[in-house]
Amino acid sequence: MSSSKHDWHRPTFLDPASIENTDTRQGFIPATDIPPDEAEAVDETPETGIPEPKKQKSTWPARALTASLIALLSLAVGAELYRLLDWSFGLHTLLGTAVASLIIVCTGCGLWQLRRSLKGLRQLRHTRDLRTEAQRLSTRNSHGGAAHFLNRLEAHYRDHPQQDSIIQQIHQVDSSYNDAEVIRFLSSHALTKQDKLARACIRKHSLAAGTLVALSPWASFDMLLAGWRNLRMLREIMSIYGVAPGASAQIRLLKQVFHSIAFAGISDLALDAGSTFLGTGLTSGLSSRASQGLGAGLFTARTGLTAMELCRPLPFNVRRNSVMKRLAGELVTQLATGARTSGR
Amino acid sequence: MGLTGHLTSLISDAHKDRLQRVAERTFEQHLNLAVTGLSGSGKTVFITALVHHLLQLDQDNSLPLLEAAAEKRLLGCRPIDAPGTRPFPFKGNLAALSASEPHWPRSTRDLSQIRLAIRYRRSTSIKRLLGEWGTVYLNIIDYPGEWLLDLPMLQQDFLSWSQQQTNLLQASPRVEAAAQWLKANRAIDWHAPANLAQLNQLGLEFRDLLQSFREPPHALSMLQPGHLLLSEASSPEQDLLLFPLTAEVSNETGTPEGSALAEMTRRYRSYCERWVRPFYTEHFSRFDRQIILTDCLKTLNQGEACFDDMQLALNTILSSFHYGKNSLFRRLFSPRIDRVLFAATKADHVTANQHANLDRFLELMVHDARKEMRFESVQTRCMALASVRSTQAAQARKDGQLLSCLKGYRKETGEPVALFPGEIPTELPRAEDWHQDRFRFIDFAPRALPRSGLKPEHHIRLDQALEYLTGDLFR
Ligand SMILES: Nc1nc2c(ncn2[C@@H]2O[C@H](COP(=O)(O)OP(=O)(O)OP(=O)(O)O)[C@@H](O)[C@H]2O)c(=O)[nH]1
Ligand SMILES: [Mg+2]
Repeated sequence: MSSSKHDWHRPTFLDPASIENTDTRQGFIPATDIPPDEAEAVDETPETGIPEPKKQKSTWPARALTASLIALLSLAVGAELYRLLDWSFGLHTLLGTAVASLIIVCTGCGLWQLRRSLKGLRQLRHTRDLRTEAQRLSTRNSHGGAAHFLNRLEAHYRDHPQQDSIIQQIHQVDSSYNDAEVIRFLSSHALTKQDKLARACIRKHSLAAGTLVALSPWASFDMLLAGWRNLRMLREIMSIYGVAPGASAQIRLLKQVFHSIAFAGISDLALDAGSTFLGTGLTSGLSSRASQGLGAGLFTARTGLTAMELCRPLPFNVRRNSVMKRLAGELVTQLATGARTSGR
Repeated sequence: MGLTGHLTSLISDAHKDRLQRVAERTFEQHLNLAVTGLSGSGKTVFITALVHHLLQLDQDNSLPLLEAAAEKRLLGCRPIDAPGTRPFPFKGNLAALSASEPHWPRSTRDLSQIRLAIRYRRSTSIKRLLGEWGTVYLNIIDYPGEWLLDLPMLQQDFLSWSQQQTNLLQASPRVEAAAQWLKANRAIDWHAPANLAQLNQLGLEFRDLLQSFREPPHALSMLQPGHLLLSEASSPEQDLLLFPLTAEVSNETGTPEGSALAEMTRRYRSYCERWVRPFYTEHFSRFDRQIILTDCLKTLNQGEACFDDMQLALNTILSSFHYGKNSLFRRLFSPRIDRVLFAATKADHVTANQHANLDRFLELMVHDARKEMRFESVQTRCMALASVRSTQAAQARKDGQLLSCLKGYRKETGEPVALFPGEIPTELPRAEDWHQDRFRFIDFAPRALPRSGLKPEHHIRLDQALEYLTGDLFR
């Protein structure tokens, strides 16, 4: 340890004129394209994030089966289309053109949808990577590690409709913040508008789901109604946070939501429900239909909050319980009054 | 809505308003915040900056990491009269800091108090049953740091205090400067009738000694009695002229009436009763939360003796506060401090990448005190902060390397400086590590604080300190 030479830097005075100011963002690296090393970022925090659903490694016969099926199907469809065209042109040129244009419109729309959903998928993946990075940073009190993250976040929101306010907040990050503080600042300031919208959206849909289920006369319809509401809510939340709401992205998000809800475990769910019910203390007055409605509403709220968490590139530090409690209270009053008015 | 709806429907409209007000008054919260720190640690600047940011709460968003402020639940803040004590000279201090040639407020000479009412919106619907809006009353006193070291004297008597002081005076670095005075002190015959002129003369010389210890080559902190140190009159009141007895005195014969020993014992008692006890009982026995400001950079600048002395002084001071968990009953009748923030002030004197090291260094410095507190299940935390940020982050290229450094204006001359002030060690330096030119933390003149339009960049972590100390009250 006792090295003859010291291992610290000598304090030095410098010429004030020769100095560049660092801008408010901490010593920003000018935006260069650094390939984000995604795999590394993920396995540094195995315990914080929700573990990704394990991809089932498909065996080669299965893969060969899908490939050949797809090839077969597209061949069949192609041949069928060709025959259709041939037949319609043979009948009349006008009919032929009509069919041809229909086919073109169809393929165009299909391609567009495909692109959109691919974009949505890419954005979801990117969001997840950013979130893992943010979670990693939020446990550090080192300095300067967040600069790269800020660049990526800025790029992520570059074509978002409200990019100005988000990017302005990103630029507000103070130069004295350490990495954890940067994340804390951003997660409570960068997305306030979006969070507010998303929360309103969740509230609207869970109230609607609750009421629909409570009032629907067919019990078997419940699941369908709640599911339909949930899907619409997911779409809205996705577009609020700027994720293109294509079908496949929506399905991916839904999968992630269910996965994370399942991961939270039964005990957590029970605790959640228990505390929300205790908090309101008014559930005893509800009929059994109305309590089913309450259940559906709370489920929707939970799905919504989880989706919100998954669409944000920054960790979510809203007290989930208090949101749930407030919603439960509102649901109960609404269902109670709804039951009363419909009873009369 | 739920429960509130049911309740309010039971009460006629006329009473509703009054009941609401009574409820608010019953549940309103008072917080006595102890701003503790030795002289020069930055108490006055901290209070001034804190009050300024709080008063501007409704207009500026300068405290982004204060949760209630981030959620836009803080309505506003205003000062209210605190009867009895001199008001804290907030306007004067702010004028000094926001002048076109800004300067730091002068060292505090007297006790003063400020009380703020902060209005906030409760965060959850359950809590809103108490009324949507709540008020937190924040009570802060400012006082000369020297007075703090008088508090432990209340728990001692003259002889035990003398014993402790003698041990200090006979050790380095004090003994070199005090040799002459010690000799004169030992020459006193404590059992002979008191020679008042001689005692007073020694008292005056002791004051000069204390004052010289406070100044830079020594820069010591453990200086008692504080009121004597601060007195400036050429012949202060006799009871102030208190100094320790450094010779061995046998106690077998008792204390003869009218002897020097009797006189000094009387002075000690009188000193405690007149100057120290009122200060203690009126203000110091009712704190709920505490922030302890320390100037770690000064110790690094001055070396090991300064460090050891400050550590000793801090530990001595902290024995005068009551720590522990508050029950509801205790909070109403004899509160204890249940949360303590140790803060390394003047964090703007080092580059931002050294803040974590500064935290760590502070942790090392207050390690023992913290352990005691944790034993009483008191929450503690260490944090580097700057109440008024007076430097700018900058970069310089030196020997081909990019060096982060600071830009500011010198406190003494006001000329612009840029420097790399050195790195803060994360381990307690060993004796041979205290190197003459390892650290160069210079004092900066303040950057003018605007009267409105405050920004987060005008402070460092003031919002987080406030969040830690008061955040739970705004839930
Ligand atoms: N750069 C910088 N310097 C500070 C800050 N706070 C205090 N200082 C310096 O510390 C000195 C003392 O600060 P005060 O607030 O007067 O200290 P105090 O604790 O009130 O001291 P006493 O009144 O003597 O007990 C100031 O004159 C400044 O030079 C800060 O936030 N930043
Ligand atoms: Mg002061």
